[in-house]
Amino acid sequence: MMPVARAEQPVADFDALVREHQAMVFSLAYHVLHDRALAEEVGQEVFLNLHRNLATLQSAAHVLFWLRQATIRRAIDETRRRRRQPQVELEKVAEPAIGPAERDPMLSETLRRLIAVLPEDARAVMVMRYQEDLDPSEIAELLEMPLATVKSHLHRSLAVLREKLVRRGLGDR
Amino acid sequence: MKTVVKLLLLAVAAQLPAQQIQFNLDHLAGKASNTVDVSLNGTMLQFAAKFLDGKDSEEAQVKKLLEGITGIYVKSYEFKTEGAWAPADLDRVRDQLRAPQWARIIDINSTEDRQTTQVYVRSENQKMTGLAILVSEPKELTVVNIVGNVDLNSLAELGGHFGIPKVETPPQKK
Amino acid sequence: MDWLEEELRRALARKEPEPGFTARVSARSRAGGRGALSRRWLATAASVLVLAGSGAGYRWYQGVRAKEQVMAAVRIAGGKLNQVQNRVLEVAK
Repeated sequence: MMPVARAEQPVADFDALVREHQAMVFSLAYHVLHDRALAEEVGQEVFLNLHRNLATLQSAAHVLFWLRQATIRRAIDETRRRRRQPQVELEKVAEPAIGPAERDPMLSETLRRLIAVLPEDARAVMVMRYQEDLDPSEIAELLEMPLATVKSHLHRSLAVLREKLVRRGLGDR
Repeated sequence: MKTVVKLLLLAVAAQLPAQQIQFNLDHLAGKASNTVDVSLNGTMLQFAAKFLDGKDSEEAQVKKLLEGITGIYVKSYEFKTEGAWAPADLDRVRDQLRAPQWARIIDINSTEDRQTTQVYVRSENQKMTGLAILVSEPKELTVVNIVGNVDLNSLAELGGHFGIPKVETPPQKK
Repeated sequence: MDWLEEELRRALARKEPEPGFTARVSARSRAGGRGALSRRWLATAASVLVLAGSGAGYRWYQGVRAKEQVMAAVRIAGGKLNQVQNRVLEVAK
């Protein structure tokens, strides 16, 4: 477990924190934005903010919680600022133009693209659940969302994704 | 985190044409976590159309859509909590849509997500002269007013495909 | 955990950023957080153009902003109308 980082500790420790958490931060941003360059930029900004706020963080667990929350908020803010992707209802997410079941290797990319066009709150919940393996109550605390809302987002998002994939012959398992 | 995108460029005219609705919703901006406010009259639309890229398929579709339109007005608010907007806010808009030229063509009430959607069309001499869309949810309120002849199918199609990433189809095996 | 949830875990597994990410963050933190080109250049460029008295430049800025507004409005209106269309189709089935 990483020792607690404080602003007055050597820079090397901050670098170690970045190395430990960079994949998590980058991936959260990438799965929300579906844009590597933007995800890198968001990731850099989050870590710069961490550097400025290190003295206020009290434990390794606090650092992790703070990073997850800061990243998801920053990524959602970026989504809203760009509004390149419409706020679509789950049911109207267009099916990707891929063919029958032998195209399975593309399933992961298809799922990432479908996630990236979910409404922002649903997207944040899904990424927290399936990238970070957080349970609904942890997600509710992180996103400051009612637990019932988190569960509703999960339930609806899975139902729609399932329907979209089955329709394309990718869901018969 | 409060985000405000205020895109208003045009001062409100002293007297609005009949096809244009007075929203009276600006008081909600202060309570909203996210606001979109668009107000473009015919002159601004013609000006904006010049900057749409005909080679980009989405922008080309929008450019074509704008041909019959003389005004686009949108107010969209997202709130962090329920109760930020009141039924009276929407009633003031609906009252203007009771004029004889307006007809409500869609009225959908979803109890599951507590969303209400109403679409109104304005006609004169058997020609469409305006569109209004009212969408309300506990934490969101959106009102759209488009003045002019709107190709509803094109608009809906654009709304369904904006930003949806295209998945590359692998080459066919020979 | 069903197949879809397993696939979602696989699809949303963590990925590393481009090599050198830590070095880039360190460099920026040592520089006081500066260094990245601000993506909000449009408003800054507009201010400069106005102050420089460049009418044509500011008109270009107005045009680009107006275009952004049109696209935002069409997305919102089209998105809502598309939802309506899909719901009507679902009910009609």
